[in-house]
Amino acid sequence: MTAVVNPNLITDLQRFGGTDINACFSCGNCTAICPLTDNDAMFPRRLIRLAQVGLGDELVGSKELWTCYGCGMCTDRCPQEADPAEFMGTARQYAIAHYDRSGIARLMNTRPVLGALFATAMGLLFAVFFTTISRHQNPDVLRLFEFIPYEVVHTTGIVVMALVAVFSLLGIGFLARDIARRDGITREQLFGSAEARRRTAKALWYALGIESLGQKRYREDCQDDQPVEPLYRRRWLIHSLTLWGFLGLLAATTLDYGLDILGIKATGTPVPIWYPVRLLGTVAGLALMYGVTWFMIRRRERAGQPGGRSRPTDWLFLWLLWLSGLTGFLIEAALYVEPVQTWAYWVFLAHVAVAMELCLFLPFTKFAHAMYRPVALFFYGVERERSAASA
Amino acid sequence: MSQPDEPTTGGTERRIGVYICHCGGNISDYVDVEAVREALKDEPGVVVSESPVFACSDGTQHDMIDDIRAQHLDGLVVASCSPKLHQVTFRNVAKRADLNQYAYTQVNVREQDSWAHQHDRAGATEKAIGLVRAGVAKTRLSDPLEPLRIDTVPSALVVGGGVAGLRAAIGLADLGIQAVVVEREATLGGWVGRLGATFPDDTSGADEIAGLVEQIKARRDITVYTSAELTGKSGTFGNYAAELTLHRDDGDKVLTVGVGAIIVATGFDSYLPDVGEFGYGIDGVVTLPEFKELVDAAPSGQLSYAGRRVRSIAYVYCVGSRQPAGGNEYCSKYCCTATIHASLQVARLDASVRQYHLYRDIRAYGRNELLYNSSREAGSTYLKFADDQPPAVAKLAGGGLGVTVTDLLTESRELTIPVDLVVLVTGMVPRENAGLTAVLKLPVGSDGFFNEIHPKLRPVETVVDGVMIAGCCQSPRTVGESVAAGLAAVAQSAALLKKGYAELEPLVATVDPARCIGSGECLTSCPYDAITRIEWDGRSIASVDPATCKGCGGCVPACGQDAIDLLGYTDAQMRAAIEGLIAAEPVKEAVS
Repeated sequence: MTAVVNPNLITDLQRFGGTDINACFSCGNCTAICPLTDNDAMFPRRLIRLAQVGLGDELVGSKELWTCYGCGMCTDRCPQEADPAEFMGTARQYAIAHYDRSGIARLMNTRPVLGALFATAMGLLFAVFFTTISRHQNPDVLRLFEFIPYEVVHTTGIVVMALVAVFSLLGIGFLARDIARRDGITREQLFGSAEARRRTAKALWYALGIESLGQKRYREDCQDDQPVEPLYRRRWLIHSLTLWGFLGLLAATTLDYGLDILGIKATGTPVPIWYPVRLLGTVAGLALMYGVTWFMIRRRERAGQPGGRSRPTDWLFLWLLWLSGLTGFLIEAALYVEPVQTWAYWVFLAHVAVAMELCLFLPFTKFAHAMYRPVALFFYGVERERSAASA
Repeated sequence: MSQPDEPTTGGTERRIGVYICHCGGNISDYVDVEAVREALKDEPGVVVSESPVFACSDGTQHDMIDDIRAQHLDGLVVASCSPKLHQVTFRNVAKRADLNQYAYTQVNVREQDSWAHQHDRAGATEKAIGLVRAGVAKTRLSDPLEPLRIDTVPSALVVGGGVAGLRAAIGLADLGIQAVVVEREATLGGWVGRLGATFPDDTSGADEIAGLVEQIKARRDITVYTSAELTGKSGTFGNYAAELTLHRDDGDKVLTVGVGAIIVATGFDSYLPDVGEFGYGIDGVVTLPEFKELVDAAPSGQLSYAGRRVRSIAYVYCVGSRQPAGGNEYCSKYCCTATIHASLQVARLDASVRQYHLYRDIRAYGRNELLYNSSREAGSTYLKFADDQPPAVAKLAGGGLGVTVTDLLTESRELTIPVDLVVLVTGMVPRENAGLTAVLKLPVGSDGFFNEIHPKLRPVETVVDGVMIAGCCQSPRTVGESVAAGLAAVAQSAALLKKGYAELEPLVATVDPARCIGSGECLTSCPYDAITRIEWDGRSIASVDPATCKGCGGCVPACGQDAIDLLGYTDAQMRAAIEGLIAAEPVKEAVS
């Protein structure tokens, strides 16, 4: 079966980053050095080749794209200075844009200025919206939900979540379809028998539990920092803290909402620091801030070095995370400080706007890796289960 | 049996040294060298017999010279290896000892004896004795000979006015040798003259030719004839009469020039694919020269073909080169780099053009590797196909061209590349030159290119004395390599012509006028037209021109009167040698 190539792929890819894979002469050093290379996972060389010849659909439907943690060892070893790590990052952005049918991801990547304007405009739109509907700033007690009604925040959140869900599910669905097609995985093989379902469940656990939450290979295989970084700033650690911090905050928010529904504690009620939900939120927030701050420092340090190029959506994602964390902590501080800090109302407004934008941009920024990586890892797990079964 | 004309100079009066070489063990392991020496030491005329371990060693050579001088030897026989290896060595030994070098005979007891009969020591020894006795017998009858001295004229003919020929003409003139250039076409310059930028330095081929033509105009020692051909050659080496036919509007004119040497630099033809070969014939499928013309003529900023903008190109390498047995099996050598260079030209014209190179092996050798690197950096993508899976070119259903290739670098996947233009990277083929080949009797290889004497050590000489070859008429090569070969031919011409004379082997045929009855039987037997009829003593007899004769001996048996003898291999010598050979007694005691 002949595959018709897209001669313009490489030009298109270059719009997403300064990747210069023309220099690559397919030697395979990158594959040899990559700690994730496996019998059925020959990257980055294979993916670079797909890009070079113009097999775009195969490139974006490659699960290897998402198993990479971007350690950069391939770039260090590349004899042609083709910067494969940079290519992998660019290709992931390209895939994100490919699976985002709205075109927003493409805009933000290929037109940085327009993208920045768009991101700022969206943030301002949220801010203006919340300002418009904002009411009374209680000067005696910090009553944030009197300033912006809880229902409005809640409903806006639901709308944003629904929008994100639509885009995300579409993207996840298309990616899953493409990977399954490429790897020749059928519905029957996944769910056809009890044995198949058992294997699928194991693959799911591998994808979500062991790798997504556990970051096993990141921790064990991609220990690559040269020179060896002290533990407190190792990549897998700051990545895990960011991830767990984010999930912790998500859990705290959800729990808080649950407690509200159950009538145990109204949202916004000041509670002591040891109150479990609050404690969870605080610890998670600290972890998130710690991780994101280190990511930003490291990204700045690597700027200008091979593999250190940042795409606009990399920074947008980090800044949104960092700003939502910072504003969250400022609000928390304000809640416990006497007298009432009225600036906290505006910080709260900013916090809500930034958090909304962060969520809304999930399918378009680097954030999207959070939904695509598990899909790819799932199929990677399926592959593992299948080869284990046939071995 | 004895012949009435047996020379009386032979026999025991000669003083011959015989050396039977061990050649380490190459000979002595299979031949009882001492038995051979024993058998030969009392042969008539033999005054010295030795069996050195290595006859060719410096020490033994000195010993031979000492023997020749001390014993007043007038003949030398070395039984060792093939004369191809050491005939010159021992001739030089003779010369250094003031012995006539043609009084030396080499007997091959290695390739023709010890190596051939490794399991029959007695037989090999017997054969060696016979061979050496034959050599001694032949040497006994040897006459001193001197190399033939031929006067040469200080001028050379250059056939072909391409880059190699033009540069050679200038080189000849610079050495004080008159140069005559004949070019079949109406204009000078050949392929290079039609080219724009050429690798490796991007200079324009047309400009380079123009520069050479300017230099030629400034030199009085160079005469150029365009629309002209070499149509005849007579005379002898060092003083040929070259017949040139000038094609003029008012009919052909024939002109004869005297030249001492001839440099053939007639170039190549570009391989022309058959219709359908890699899609040739389909609109948008072009050969490398056609493509190069397109690129050279393209205005800055864009490349068009037949009025259509070209945005993507596929190059299919090795078209007409490296074909299976029976086809053009050779590599055309220049085309990889020429294509890579042209693709860089395209990238400079319009960086957005996507270029796919479908190759078997990229042979951008030496510094051309850097061009290959540059082309990849400029965005060219290289796809490697296997010899037995050549790409296919076809029109796509939706318009445009599609090249389908199984790319070894993409997991041997079959890919179809939609492109605007397909370039067939055509190689070089020998030029149609039947007339010239016949006139000069040039040796043509199985690939159709002219052959040199020795690919490494005599790379521009041919077996025809004074006729040199240079450039792509000999084999595919680059401009620089062609020019280098042209200048090598210049140096070789100068080596022949600058002394004013040349020395030739005297081992040629001679006619005994007294015996010749002028039957003319020998005239048709000579492949070199060296025999003519002359008037002698009122009779018409045959005469051999020693400068033209190659000493092949073809005429000797043709003569019914035994009137022709080959010097160095006279009938008498050969008869004596045969007698010596069959006189050998079986060796019994030598078996060890």
